[in-house]
Amino acid sequence: MTSDLALPRYGLVYRLFGVVVAVWITVVLVLAILGPVSNLPILEHTARNLYFHVPMWFVLYAGAVVGAWHAGRYLATDRAVHDIRSEAAWMISTLAGVVALLTGVIWSRFTWYQGTGLWWSPEPRQNMVAIQLLISGAYFVLRGSLDRPRQRARLSAVYALFATASLPFLTYVLPRRQASLHPGAEGNPAFSEMDIAADMRWIFYASAVGFLMLGWWLYTQRVRARVAERRAEHLGTSAPLPAPVVS
Amino acid sequence: MDWIAGAWAVVAHDARLELRTRVALSGLGLFVAASLMLVRVAVQGAPSVPVASALLWIVVVFAAAVGLGRAFIAEEERGTSLLLQLHLRPSQVFAGKLAFNVALMACVVAFAAAGFRVLVPIPLGAPGVLVAALVLGATGIAGATTLLSALVARARAAGPLLPVLAFPLLVPILYPAVSLTEQASGAAEGAWAAAGDDLMLLASYAGLLISASFLLFDYVWRD
Repeated sequence: MTSDLALPRYGLVYRLFGVVVAVWITVVLVLAILGPVSNLPILEHTARNLYFHVPMWFVLYAGAVVGAWHAGRYLATDRAVHDIRSEAAWMISTLAGVVALLTGVIWSRFTWYQGTGLWWSPEPRQNMVAIQLLISGAYFVLRGSLDRPRQRARLSAVYALFATASLPFLTYVLPRRQASLHPGAEGNPAFSEMDIAADMRWIFYASAVGFLMLGWWLYTQRVRARVAERRAEHLGTSAPLPAPVVS
Repeated sequence: MDWIAGAWAVVAHDARLELRTRVALSGLGLFVAASLMLVRVAVQGAPSVPVASALLWIVVVFAAAVGLGRAFIAEEERGTSLLLQLHLRPSQVFAGKLAFNVALMACVVAFAAAGFRVLVPIPLGAPGVLVAALVLGATGIAGATTLLSALVARARAAGPLLPVLAFPLLVPILYPAVSLTEQASGAAEGAWAAAGDDLMLLASYAGLLISASFLLFDYVWRD
């Protein structure tokens, strides 16, 4: 079972990539805080939150798609590394979901819902990302309640795929049937401001790429740590492993 | 033909066991009755239509979480999963269990809706829309829960796990079902035209979940 757990040998590449991500994110942070902003009424300087809130949505979706892909690969191949990758991708997706929810709640609280005192605004996407987080929570609870590693890997892969099938309904179909502050519904205030301040567009693209890279870097680190952990368990118990195969 | 005969054998077997003991039916019936009485006592005065519609579906969803887990847990408890695995293909087992759960859910929604008519009367202008919502909602809830109950039957602490896994996935059923129930209390004319989108949403989501379940059930079933 562990024989397919190749020890990744790209140490230097990972380290360089980590440096690139750190520098990229730092530059994005500086530009996002000091850069030009459209300064529309209501939004004013909170428009800068666009650079942090929206990329989290991309990371959430990318994580869910990668997690579902590796869940499918696990069911097809039975290779433990796909289970590790799927779990790591769900973890990153969950993390991004939490940040997206928090930035969204705070953003709307101090702009459109300023004066109402509402923290949980009647915003459909906010409810849907909360439900997506409940699904992620259920995934990890399910993993925790299964003892045998292969059974845990297989059943959590089944749940991951089943839940991913409902993702388009939760994120695209349902929110568009209700009034919303988000793109896709009428109003769409967050993106029209990029037409006003053209520079915002470039900072936004850079930040989207930067956070996707950050998510990917975190994902690879978690996968590497998990693979090393599994190999260590294996070394402690039984026969020596076959030579690592890098695939 | 063999495939249908096998699936039908699962349904007939479950139905016979159920009619012999009536554990699931009487348990679920009392569960729904007790929830309805709680609603009746907790909601003082006449509730508004949106509140009543939401309460109806919340009772139904909770009843599903309590009742539909039995299908596979009972097989594990009796130790008969292995026999089913030997004699039938996974898709037959799943189809049989799904059909039994749909029938069970149909009883639950019929009983809950009738109870609501008596205890929490709200206007009902378009009964056909309500019936369509109940039928599609019951199918969708059974479709979402059957695969998950097979999954939960393999886990420790099976009790609280099924609602945790199922409730978030039931949201795309709950939302159109509640809005259809609200529409059914409006005027009869134009009710079907207005209900079209929600009915499509319910039907497509139920279809999606059931097809996904057929594809994934193999991996849950073989151990």
